[in-house]
Amino acid sequence: MAPQVSTGRIQQQVAAIASGFLGDWLEHRGNGLAVPMSVFAGDTELQVEKPEPEAPGRTLCLSIHGLMELESVWDFPSRPGYHYGSYLAEQLGDASALKLRFNTGRPIYRNGQELAALLESLVSNWPVPVQRLILIGHSMGGLLIRSACHYGMVNNHAWITRSPDCVYIGSPHDGSWLAVGAHRAAGWLNRRSRDYLRVIGEVIDLRSQGIRNLSRGDVLEPGVEPQPLLPEARHYVVSGLLLRGQQHPVNLLFGDALVQQASAEGAGQSGWQLAGCANFPGVDHIRLAHHASVCQQLEDWLV
Amino acid sequence: MNKGNSDMHWWLGLVDLLAHGVQHGAVKLQRVHLSVAEESFRILETVPVTRPGARVVRVWHHGISRLSYGSVAMAGAAVTRITDGYLRERDDRNVNKS
Repeated sequence: MAPQVSTGRIQQQVAAIASGFLGDWLEHRGNGLAVPMSVFAGDTELQVEKPEPEAPGRTLCLSIHGLMELESVWDFPSRPGYHYGSYLAEQLGDASALKLRFNTGRPIYRNGQELAALLESLVSNWPVPVQRLILIGHSMGGLLIRSACHYGMVNNHAWITRSPDCVYIGSPHDGSWLAVGAHRAAGWLNRRSRDYLRVIGEVIDLRSQGIRNLSRGDVLEPGVEPQPLLPEARHYVVSGLLLRGQQHPVNLLFGDALVQQASAEGAGQSGWQLAGCANFPGVDHIRLAHHASVCQQLEDWLV
Repeated sequence: MNKGNSDMHWWLGLVDLLAHGVQHGAVKLQRVHLSVAEESFRILETVPVTRPGARVVRVWHHGISRLSYGSVAMAGAAVTRITDGYLRERDDRNVNKS
């Protein structure tokens, strides 16, 4: 029998998609579809000022989803509740698997600032002393981690001193070809004399700041120089490819469908010291968030 | 916020978004419709035989289109006024609470 999808789940999914497209506008209007940032342990939402998880561990493993996604993207198909975080927590012992939900249409730097503050509050209020922090980000979630690390460091947050492990899964550090394409198409269409073409350009231009940030992988406020990776942390990169042949033209053009391998590895960034880098040919962008081979790789790196 | 309030806020959020979509979508559709039609009328007006008829049809076509799209946009705007009021009132309530 097919699994039942509850009305609440559909509402959350609609809100996640609407937030991805127009999240900054929805938030500005106080619209109920704007997704607030929240942390979950299993299906339970935690109060960051007074988190009361069932079995608090000394290691926190926080999974952060990507654009227009919900935390459910991490769950393995037909195994709800089983994801990279829960598996790692099981293997590590004394660890808690958490998931973040957030409005993916807001500018990444604003989500990064909020995440840094949330981590500070969560770590300081956690029922047992937190010794280790593992941050796993899929797609935009990876950019959010980099942004939060920067603002955590700037604000002298204590969680930075836990030497976090940061895992970037299919994150467009140098931008996504699709976001770049949308940006260029809108610019080209807006310069046309035909009104019907300009309207298409204007509709593309409605996209949120979060989507716009993905065209160049912007994680900081406008005007701030790009920053190196947080030196206190260990950084791991995971990328995927649509087809198994590494050099296949489709892979070179589209990468994992949305992010090219070079962008996922931050090839355009200077001075990156990675603790680990892995590529998975044949695993597309969405499946990178719940794939057995990726899970095995994370275990090798982090356990 | 209790579940009922949250659910209500979600539905009003959806209505607000759809109403904005209808309002602005109608205006944009009108622009697409008129600019595409304009291409045909421009050709018809270059042909001496069709020119007089095309001019009359063009005025009627554009007039009726503007009226139709304008009515839909106005209906959308009316709904956004209602949702706007609700969202503002809710914002004020939240500010007072905090």
